[in-house]
Amino acid sequence: MKLCNGGTVVAAALLLSALALGACRSRSTDSDLLMAVNAGVEADGLKASAAEYRKERGITIRIIEYPYQSLFEKLMISLTGPSSNYDLVMIDDPWFPRLAEMQTLAELAPLFRARGLTGPDGDFVEASLALCRHPYRTGALYALPCVGNTQLFFYRRDLYEKHGLEPPRTWDDVYRTGKEIGEREGIYGYVMRAAQGNAIVSDFMPLFWAFGGEMFDASGRPRVNSPEGVAALEFMLRLAEIAPPGYANFNADEVGAHLLQGTAVMAINWPAWIPAFADPARSKVIGKIGYLNVPSQKRPGASSIGNWLVGIPRRSRHAEEAFEFLLWVTAPEQMRQSALKGNPPTRRSVFEDPELVARFPSYPVQYRALVGSRPRPRSAVWNEIENTFGIYLSQANSGYYSAREALDAANRDIEAILQRWNLSARNP
Amino acid sequence: MEPQRAKSVTRSVQWREKAFPYALLAPALLLLAALTVYPFFYILHTSVHRLTPAGETFVGAQNFLRLLGDPFFYRAAVQTLVFTASALTLEFALGLALALLLDSQIRGRALWRALLLLPMILPPVVAGVTWRLIYNPGFGPLNGALRLLGLDTRRLTWLADPIVALASVVLVDVWEWTPFVFLILLAGLQAIPEEPYEAARIDGSSPWQTFRHVTLPLLLPALLVALLLRTMDLVRLFDSVFILTQGGPGFATETLSLYIYKTAFRFYDFGYAAAASLALLVVTGALSRLYIRFLTREERA
Repeated sequence: MKLCNGGTVVAAALLLSALALGACRSRSTDSDLLMAVNAGVEADGLKASAAEYRKERGITIRIIEYPYQSLFEKLMISLTGPSSNYDLVMIDDPWFPRLAEMQTLAELAPLFRARGLTGPDGDFVEASLALCRHPYRTGALYALPCVGNTQLFFYRRDLYEKHGLEPPRTWDDVYRTGKEIGEREGIYGYVMRAAQGNAIVSDFMPLFWAFGGEMFDASGRPRVNSPEGVAALEFMLRLAEIAPPGYANFNADEVGAHLLQGTAVMAINWPAWIPAFADPARSKVIGKIGYLNVPSQKRPGASSIGNWLVGIPRRSRHAEEAFEFLLWVTAPEQMRQSALKGNPPTRRSVFEDPELVARFPSYPVQYRALVGSRPRPRSAVWNEIENTFGIYLSQANSGYYSAREALDAANRDIEAILQRWNLSARNP
Repeated sequence: MEPQRAKSVTRSVQWREKAFPYALLAPALLLLAALTVYPFFYILHTSVHRLTPAGETFVGAQNFLRLLGDPFFYRAAVQTLVFTASALTLEFALGLALALLLDSQIRGRALWRALLLLPMILPPVVAGVTWRLIYNPGFGPLNGALRLLGLDTRRLTWLADPIVALASVVLVDVWEWTPFVFLILLAGLQAIPEEPYEAARIDGSSPWQTFRHVTLPLLLPALLVALLLRTMDLVRLFDSVFILTQGGPGFATETLSLYIYKTAFRFYDFGYAAAASLALLVVTGALSRLYIRFLTREERA
């Protein structure tokens, strides 16, 4: 007996899959906007804003969360394809030069003009807005800054008071007082993260800059092995004497844990950790942590900026609507809401909001740090440069190379990367 | 007319009979082509190109030449081999010992077996994160336990020293995959009939002789299958290294898979990553060829 012929089976299968696809599609209407964001506290802020936007304007912004690493991969694949799935994308600032160079983002100037505006208002912190331009600071605007992270220097204010010491202003102070307090209290003087890649480069840059190092010379060739660079790395290896063993594989989590447990005197970390210090369930140091700008040495201290930007893919079919939301979500009111969830703002007026300052006493320091911060060098191949630089820095910290050997090798490899892609890089 | 028609009918029947198996195979073949053959040729294509914002440019053998002169690639390859060799040795020594132990009539066998399989059924990412915490020099339970025994753990950093980190990652792999080896070997042991053992006993062979001349030869097919699967997995080791060390400290625990992943998805250098993947494919292909030849020869013997 013949139940049905092949043609029917195929037709039925096609029909079923068409139905299934239709069912998937019908969940979002064409007027919904899709936004790719970093999973975590940044996404919490945006989800709350999106819910309010829907109530106020009747437009749905669907927030799609990705873990940090896969967000970059998703953006690269989605934005370089023939059409973009997303109407808004969240970008970590070191990724921005690559995305802008590949012309994947919509220029914002025409969108501002269409509304009779000349550009973003003067309330945004200049250091944050400069990240959204390609080339850096001077070029066209492709995004707006929404989260104003910048590194802060955390220290045990209570212990400095107890031992009658001044808070550290220079890196020499950090070593001297860290050693002294550490020895007297039986804890570690300084904790840093030296895990390969982003972690160690983020922690090394403030030291490198303070010692007078610059990654690239005026012609865009790498100069990490300058005498200043070697001095900075040698100093990092001296700091290792007062750091917990195993720091060579630490990430931000381990640094945070040492501070929370009260087993280290000082560290550089991101402001996202501030709420944890006041949380009785996690913190043994409630009310004991002070905040400073990154220490100076030969030059005034500058911390690495690490802002989250929001851009509109060039191929989005809803650029107008996306821009409307972008303006709304980066306006003071929503930025305030997001700040209450723990996201540092990028607007001066929000940093100075009395209620927020009362809640986050570190805001004045954070604002000064943000204004005086430096971005990591702007290059479309920064990920590759950072990885290579990080490998050699990490090898110096685990005792495989001396400071000079590591930086000579890093310089050679960074030069090879730039040559391979026929690029130069810029110090911002 | 008649014979002519009969002939054409038989021919059509014959054709249908011949075509039938292919028709049955067609969906599987199509799937295979879509999932394996197409990607393979796409990788070949990518490996001789460079992908830039402007599009792709043909670069000939440039990516392969760069591979030959890339010290990082060599180091990743050597480290992958060290990983593979040391993890295989430990996993097989332990797996075989456990299988022999639990094949005998010891008490609570079912419970032991279930407990032994636990590490394997945990998702590798969960296992990696857990081990990262266990290894933490300050707060980790491992150093905590050693301190309780009165040991000085200040220099025991597990993941931060280049050589120790390599051993630590191997240890996690051994913890996670010994159960798999154990499971296959136990099945192999239980498939061995009782008769050769009886014969050996009657001939007065010692336990070691029985193991060497009865158990081991009869267990060989199971051993080789387990070896083949573990080798393939280890040569492509990625997840635990990614979670535990990201290849650090320095470059000390970077494996080929991790290096290829970073090249492709972090540096966006797909051409070079494709060339490196092909090199890895050649290695795994050669290894599995070797094993399979050994396996079929054993079966014929």
